[in-house]
Amino acid sequence: METRSGAAGGREAPRAPPDHRAASVGRIGRGTESGRVVLVAERISKSFAGVTALRDVDFDLRRGEVHALMGENGAGKSTLMKILAGVHTRYEGVIQMEGHPVSFGGVRDAEGAGVAIIHQELNLVPELSVADNIFLGREPLIAGTLIDGRRIVRAAERLLRRLGVNIDPRSRIAELRIGEQQLVEIAKALSLDTRILIMDEPTSALSSSECETLFKIVRQLADDGVAIIYTSHRIEEVLDLADRVTVLRDGRRVVTAPIGELSRAAIISAMVGREMAANHRGTAAKSGSVVLTVNNLTLDTLTGRGWRRALHGVSFQLRQGEILGIGGLLGSGRTEILESIFGVARGWRGGAIAIEGRVVDIESSADAYRLGVALVTEDRKERGLHLAESICNNVALPSIGAMSRFGLRAFARETALADDVVRRLSVRCAGIDQLVSTLSGGNQQKIVIGKWLATEPRILLLDEPTRGIDVGAKQEIYELIFKLAGQGLGIVVVTSEMPELLLLSDRVLVMCEGHQTGLLQRGNATQETVMRLAAPGMATHPWDTAS
Amino acid sequence: MKALRALSRTKLYWGLLIICLIGALASPHSSSGNNIFLSYGNLTDVLRQVSITGLVATGMTMVILLGGIDLSVGSVMGFSTIICAMLLTKSGWTAASIMGVPAATAVGFFAVAFLARFVFSGLARGRDDSAGRRREIALEPWRGIWIPALLGLVAATAIAWFTVSQVPTKFGVLGVLLVTPCVALLLGSLNGVLIVAGRLQPFIATLAMMVSALGIGRLTAGQDNAVVAVYTGTNATEAFEVLRSMLWGVVPMPSVFFLAAIVLFGAILRFTTFGRYAYAIGGNVEAAKLSGIKVAQVQFTAYLLSGLLAGIAGVLFVAQYRQGKPDAGAGLELDAIAAVVIGGTSLMGGRGSLAGTFVGVLIFGLLSDILQLQNIDSNVQLVMKGLIIVCTVLVQEQNLGQLVARWRFRSSPQAGSETGSVEPNRPLSAPKAQFAREDLNEAS
Repeated sequence: METRSGAAGGREAPRAPPDHRAASVGRIGRGTESGRVVLVAERISKSFAGVTALRDVDFDLRRGEVHALMGENGAGKSTLMKILAGVHTRYEGVIQMEGHPVSFGGVRDAEGAGVAIIHQELNLVPELSVADNIFLGREPLIAGTLIDGRRIVRAAERLLRRLGVNIDPRSRIAELRIGEQQLVEIAKALSLDTRILIMDEPTSALSSSECETLFKIVRQLADDGVAIIYTSHRIEEVLDLADRVTVLRDGRRVVTAPIGELSRAAIISAMVGREMAANHRGTAAKSGSVVLTVNNLTLDTLTGRGWRRALHGVSFQLRQGEILGIGGLLGSGRTEILESIFGVARGWRGGAIAIEGRVVDIESSADAYRLGVALVTEDRKERGLHLAESICNNVALPSIGAMSRFGLRAFARETALADDVVRRLSVRCAGIDQLVSTLSGGNQQKIVIGKWLATEPRILLLDEPTRGIDVGAKQEIYELIFKLAGQGLGIVVVTSEMPELLLLSDRVLVMCEGHQTGLLQRGNATQETVMRLAAPGMATHPWDTAS
Repeated sequence: MKALRALSRTKLYWGLLIICLIGALASPHSSSGNNIFLSYGNLTDVLRQVSITGLVATGMTMVILLGGIDLSVGSVMGFSTIICAMLLTKSGWTAASIMGVPAATAVGFFAVAFLARFVFSGLARGRDDSAGRRREIALEPWRGIWIPALLGLVAATAIAWFTVSQVPTKFGVLGVLLVTPCVALLLGSLNGVLIVAGRLQPFIATLAMMVSALGIGRLTAGQDNAVVAVYTGTNATEAFEVLRSMLWGVVPMPSVFFLAAIVLFGAILRFTTFGRYAYAIGGNVEAAKLSGIKVAQVQFTAYLLSGLLAGIAGVLFVAQYRQGKPDAGAGLELDAIAAVVIGGTSLMGGRGSLAGTFVGVLIFGLLSDILQLQNIDSNVQLVMKGLIIVCTVLVQEQNLGQLVARWRFRSSPQAGSETGSVEPNRPLSAPKAQFAREDLNEAS
């Protein structure tokens, strides 16, 4: 999310005036084009297990337009896209295509009707070739049995040529860079004769030159008459690329308008709708002693193509009561830093880690636990929780060893511990015997944090602590983080959301492709500075060169 | 609804009850008019027959709870019967005693050393309760290493002296009960090392052990498919009969071992951190690892225990059938897995209990008993066993409930809430032909 609070407006970037896109390439003479409507969605509502994700959202899409869908995480963008693409098949409301009501029974149905989606996490088989991936499940056959490999390659070649990209259809997906893989996904969508292409955050992991290629192709597709739904966290990108924009907030549509009628500021205020949370901590505590020193941390991981250096010499210090934010694009090595400190990174680690001045050797999570380091992982369902177990069992799990005697569990202390955590973090639940799987995302996140707080750590590592939880719960998590820092914990936060990073961090460490590209003080950290340091290849972004 | 849920939670025991009812109703009557199935002798016979499988299934339950599998138990059990039978019937340094004495000595050393350390850390924790939840109590070297090592050494010496003294004569009951499980335990721990340190998949590691243990058994016995006969009173000690007798005339001796194992390990799973960790690892190994649990330790221990129990089962087999043979446990691992699964333990790990396994073992045993009483062909019995596995698991895993729910959902089109487990395909109302797809050849 590239927005900042109104309160932070004083730090408005010198660049990106609202009219800068008028000069950008490819947009001239296109603003007036209004194709016929290919898709109308009316009063779409959807809820998950009682949590409303969308409420009465209207949406329409015209032929040959790039329609940007904007909103904070949890605003309902993904849900809307997934409904349109047939991923979610149960919802309220009506979708019409070319004037006919449609109701997709699944992704295949939607593809048959000409709607394709490209997810943020790409859906390709790494070990198959580009051509095989494009035609996966729809391979042309010789005599109804054998796969016609040559025909696949020829067809793939044609598709890729149409996109104007230079990728060998015989190369394996694993050999391609993320940007190229994205283009393969687009080729795959084209092969389905797609009239509506939905792209979920296509640029989140791309370098700037890859972004430019992608934008060119998106424009070209739109000119060919494909209707494109596009989401991105980068407002400048949307201003540059889109014809119309729809802003969602908390599951409702706030506005739909041609891009020329909305300024950058207008989009931001529509998305945020209110002031961002103020910094509850006042001034950052700088007086605390150093709890964690990371010196020249490196990590080499073994990949399919040999050793790859995932971290190139990361160094920082963390003080008591300080919140250090780590920013960067997906795959820039943010998570690897946390995993290395916690002793669970896969690969060879180099450099030194000291806790409270003593150099330590953390080889496993058990070591980290003993030294008072806690890690809240990004993927709470897969790696943080035992979903099928109770709150009590989850919260107590890291602590039961220390609470037991002669290996016998202390049930009373486990219960007391879980009660305490539930109360301190105000987890909304029926009781500590409730199954964790039945809690909302925000409350599940509190359980993960709580199970680590129960171990009384000195250093708390948080990886994407607010991913996939709704706005109100986010606020609670922020307040919790501030409170913990106030209590003297050293906290490291990795987050993809720029406002969150700027809101939480006392200092911001920026990563780019495994390199530490900056360590900014709170006052110096703005979206622009962080973005510039995080962008691979060069220090600028496409919209910089375009204006 | 509440009653239904209670019924569903205890359905396993209802299954056992139904089997008993069928058995009682279908049972032939003896000449004096007594129901043979319900007779005390018959029921204790069933208990006796299931004990060997039951012991193995107990170890298997722990391994499966962790999300693993132990295919080697049958071969390890067979190997143990050879060790046991040879120790009983042959004096001097035979292959069995050459392996057995060092094995028992080593296991004795480590077992006592770890036990001592365990006790010390428990005592230390009691005194140092205020140390905070996180901190582990680090034992000083004298309590952490030296005294446990010393005690281990004492135990090892005692065991070595005891076993070596038995070598020139033949081994007695105590010697056999000590040495045989130790050998099997070492095989089990080798499984554990392969899986934990070698990162082999449990299926593969234990498959390899299954094959090689059979070979080792045959090599030890000296000739292929050798059967070492044990005639108590003539070529072996008379006292060995005690392992096939009735304890106080009430419970068959093998069942005492089985029941004790169920109770002991049931309590371990329920009341100790080891048990909690086992469930946590089986439920989500990644989350368990990240919670600071020493996953490798727990996994290693489970395979070790599985081997140990297979070894005890081997001794009981020799007592029961008066022979040791390398392939004594052929197919045993599958019987054990079947019993575990019937007992409601998920092969994915993380869910299940030893009580379930106990019932599963009993259901299996009672079923063969009923069929035998009816004089049903043994091959038909195998088919029936297969059916029972499928039926109980369908009920256990609630697949049946889901099937019924799906069927009911289909039959009422408007039904269906968001929480339903099935997402029915809505018909595509727009004519598909309208969006006719270009032929692949024209894709350019």
